[in-house]
Amino acid sequence: MITFANVNKWYGSYHALVDINAEVRKGEVVVLCGPSGSGKSTLIRTVNRLEEIKSGQLLFDGHDVQASMPHQELNRLRSRIGFVFQSFNLFPHLSVLDNVMLSPLHVRGERRHVVRERALRLLDRVGLISKAQHYPGQLSGGQQQRVAIARALAMEPPAMLFDEPTSALDPEMVGEVLSVIRSLADDGMTMMCVTHEMNFAREVADRIWFMDAGKILETATPEDFFSRPQHPRAQRFLSDLRAH
Amino acid sequence: MIMDILDILDIVRDNWILLLIGQYPNGPLGGIACTLILSLLGIVLAFPLSVLLALARLSPWRLLRWPATTLVYIVRGVPLLMVILWVYFLVPLLIGHSVSGFVTMLCTLVIYEGAYLSEVVRAGIEALPRGQMEAARALGLSHLGAMRLVILPQALYNMLPSLLSQFVATIKETTLGYVINVPELTFAANQINNQLLTKPFQVFAMLALIYFVVCWALTQGAHLLDRRIARKRAGSSTVPVAQALPSCASLSAEA
Repeated sequence: MITFANVNKWYGSYHALVDINAEVRKGEVVVLCGPSGSGKSTLIRTVNRLEEIKSGQLLFDGHDVQASMPHQELNRLRSRIGFVFQSFNLFPHLSVLDNVMLSPLHVRGERRHVVRERALRLLDRVGLISKAQHYPGQLSGGQQQRVAIARALAMEPPAMLFDEPTSALDPEMVGEVLSVIRSLADDGMTMMCVTHEMNFAREVADRIWFMDAGKILETATPEDFFSRPQHPRAQRFLSDLRAH
Repeated sequence: MIMDILDILDIVRDNWILLLIGQYPNGPLGGIACTLILSLLGIVLAFPLSVLLALARLSPWRLLRWPATTLVYIVRGVPLLMVILWVYFLVPLLIGHSVSGFVTMLCTLVIYEGAYLSEVVRAGIEALPRGQMEAARALGLSHLGAMRLVILPQALYNMLPSLLSQFVATIKETTLGYVINVPELTFAANQINNQLLTKPFQVFAMLALIYFVVCWALTQGAHLLDRRIARKRAGSSTVPVAQALPSCASLSAEA
């Protein structure tokens, strides 16, 4: 579904992504973990080209995301990749319902009543149908992030990307967001998720990608990764985590 | 002192029609009416121009960015009076026949205010969190679509108070129309002064007072609006505007 082949990226002279070769299969949940600054977010942002790469190839559902293409094509491609940000990035001037409806209406030009019905169904799914007419500023962080997930789902994307979806939340709100993500995983959604929630990773991930200094150092099942990490850097990372 | 104030009241009583509407309907519309209509039209017409200029300055395409930036720098770098004189001599040359002082002044204000307002619009856009543009693009919106549906509605709402302040500035700028015989308020006051000959202090004190009252009232309005918007924003925005360090406009490598 998502294939990285020799992907490299530099910020100036800083080598941000180093020879990334990896694949996310259809229906697979991949959790990226690693110390901060290791390139997890950068990697996930290359998938919908919020970041451009310098060399290599990145295929999403058979399309070369980073190839030069007409703007319309890139926009269409992006609309098929659900992306959830750390800071929610809901549009504060639009109601919750309008946030969810924006993209299907304006990118795909679907009919309003069809979009509206689907948006309400999605809000129901994330448990926020009662907040449809509220504005983002009236919601808690956890609720906002659930709306952001509904907004990303509104285009019925074949895959979802989560960039530290719970890092900006108060601890008591982390659970409600993770349970929405978990239910997506249960439905067989293909997902990449950057997170520091190791229990969540262990429970939901099919594979863990461990990154440091722009490289994927280890890919393993959660079982193997947490009990028998192979790479010394991963061993150190996990023992640091347990020391807390 | 009291005599002066009585003099001023007398002058206002004798000339209020001239101060209000100039020599209309026997001549062109003038006085405060002319001043306000000129400023209002100036701002209203300059506003769309300023949005276009700001979008061009923030656009990913160099071909748009450079001319817009050059225009804004030039206009902001010369005195208003210079622009008035350019327009005064250039516009008749370009269109082949002479135009009234009112139209000349209006063209000038649209160019001048367009350039200044474009900086306000640009600042408003750049003050929004970068994540707004990223989220819009991630949903598949084009650069312009994101601007239209996500960025501008927020930026323009936030800049309403600045727009009102700029309107006040424009009212004061219309006084320069005097040099090309636009029959606005200052022009009317000068006519009165020329009739009376002996009371320049009273006439111009009255003039200053009228400008002050109009501009002060509008400035207060801007403050009120500012506070209301700040209150509303505190209640309904996820990210405070001041927190937004990186510009949302820098995410424009493609459209």
